[in-house]
Amino acid sequence: MLALLVVLSLLLLTAYFGESPDGRLHGVQRDFLAVLSPIQDGANKALKPVRDLFSWFGDTLHAKSQLSQSLKQTEKLRRELVDDQAEKRSYRQLLALYHLDQLSINDYHPVTATVTGKSPNIWYATVWIDKGESEGIHVNDPVINDEGLVGRVVQAASDGALVDLITDSAMGVSARVGTSTATGLVQPKVGDPNDLLLQYLPTDSQAEDGEYVVTSGTVEPPYDSLYPPGIPVGQVTSTNEESAYKSVNVRPMANLHNLDIVQVLTAAAGSRPQRLESLAASFSSTQNAPAPGSEQLASTQNSG
Amino acid sequence: MSGQSASPALWVRVALLSVAIVFIQIGVVSEVPVFGVNVDLSPLFVVFVGLLCGSVPGAIAGFAVGLLVDLALAQTLGVTSFIFTLVGYWSGRLREARDPQAALTPLLVGASGAAAALVGYSLMEFMLGVDAPVSFELLRQIFFGVLVDAIVAVPVWLVIRRCLQGAMPQDPRRRRGRRAYTTGGLSPLSRAR
Repeated sequence: MLALLVVLSLLLLTAYFGESPDGRLHGVQRDFLAVLSPIQDGANKALKPVRDLFSWFGDTLHAKSQLSQSLKQTEKLRRELVDDQAEKRSYRQLLALYHLDQLSINDYHPVTATVTGKSPNIWYATVWIDKGESEGIHVNDPVINDEGLVGRVVQAASDGALVDLITDSAMGVSARVGTSTATGLVQPKVGDPNDLLLQYLPTDSQAEDGEYVVTSGTVEPPYDSLYPPGIPVGQVTSTNEESAYKSVNVRPMANLHNLDIVQVLTAAAGSRPQRLESLAASFSSTQNAPAPGSEQLASTQNSG
Repeated sequence: MSGQSASPALWVRVALLSVAIVFIQIGVVSEVPVFGVNVDLSPLFVVFVGLLCGSVPGAIAGFAVGLLVDLALAQTLGVTSFIFTLVGYWSGRLREARDPQAALTPLLVGASGAAAALVGYSLMEFMLGVDAPVSFELLRQIFFGVLVDAIVAVPVWLVIRRCLQGAMPQDPRRRRGRRAYTTGGLSPLSRAR
């Protein structure tokens, strides 16, 4: 009996690993997700009081440990805010000039969903949400919450979807540090859910502790990003100099341990609104012709 | 299961418990981090089914729970089934060969099962090509994962034993005791003669 079950497991593993995402076993998984979603949704509602009770203790301890850190950060941000006031005016003028100021999260048709389940495995950072294809959610749609980027949809059923968190080993997000134009790839450090690594930054790029890392939202094919520009991913905690590239340790902005409400950005494939595509096209044409302040424009293009 | 067949009632209870454990794990327990990790009830359930019912029910429960977890969380199919099958079989063999009765048995078996599952999972992922270093953080996560599973092992053991009571196969130790009485040598009646 043991041999039979072991062989069966290995056969499943080999077949699953070898087939494409449209394969039969992946299809079975999708069908299972479709069947399980309503049950999971119901179970989640029934078990929510228990979960909230346990979460309350965790949240209280977490909040206490965050208090002194938040106070220091508030002071730092206050100083930065004063410095940024002057830059902000010229930045707004530039955005208005190229009609980028009208882009907001609402342009990506956000769908609000509740997290109904989570993987316990350190190798798979996934959560279930209670909205699916019936609400316009598709595979690869970005998922955010009020703190920052959470992940992307990897499987969608009619009434539920599975989201890979940014700490999942299969994830990679194109991002940049603060106002820098240099983009890199944010990848998780497997086994450490509180640490991400922004890799492949040029060695001359600047990154200071506490700076924000945001999605770059690259719009030039073939380097299209799935994620809209400017979504906070995390904060720089340390910098590492490597031979050819610089890498930066990043602490995720979103508290991925305690997700409750998230938003799925459902607009178009890769969640890029039509308006942004046309703007990207107009950028390409304007970049061919010399324009005043072209360096700043390149910077703006990188940032979205 | 060393010559004994599990009753249909046992299979029904194990099946219902498997589904319940996976739902509770995904819906509640995974949402509550302890020491930065989550309690994982599924390997505990599998080792305790093995410890209470024997190697074959342990292995079958391991395969079923693993498959359910892989399907529900869109993980690579077969990985969790493979690990849990071995873990369930091992705990069942432990019962059949040694039948440990010490008070700390659930805690030690639960911690060993959780450790085997976590280390086995990491090895499988490395073999499947996940690009990750064997970092201190990973070892720390495994250590704390085993620790929190060990903390909840005894209550989980009590709940599972209670749920399976009445449908479990005969305890090997009691069986051995009864066999000794029936041979006559150790019977109080025969000694009285």
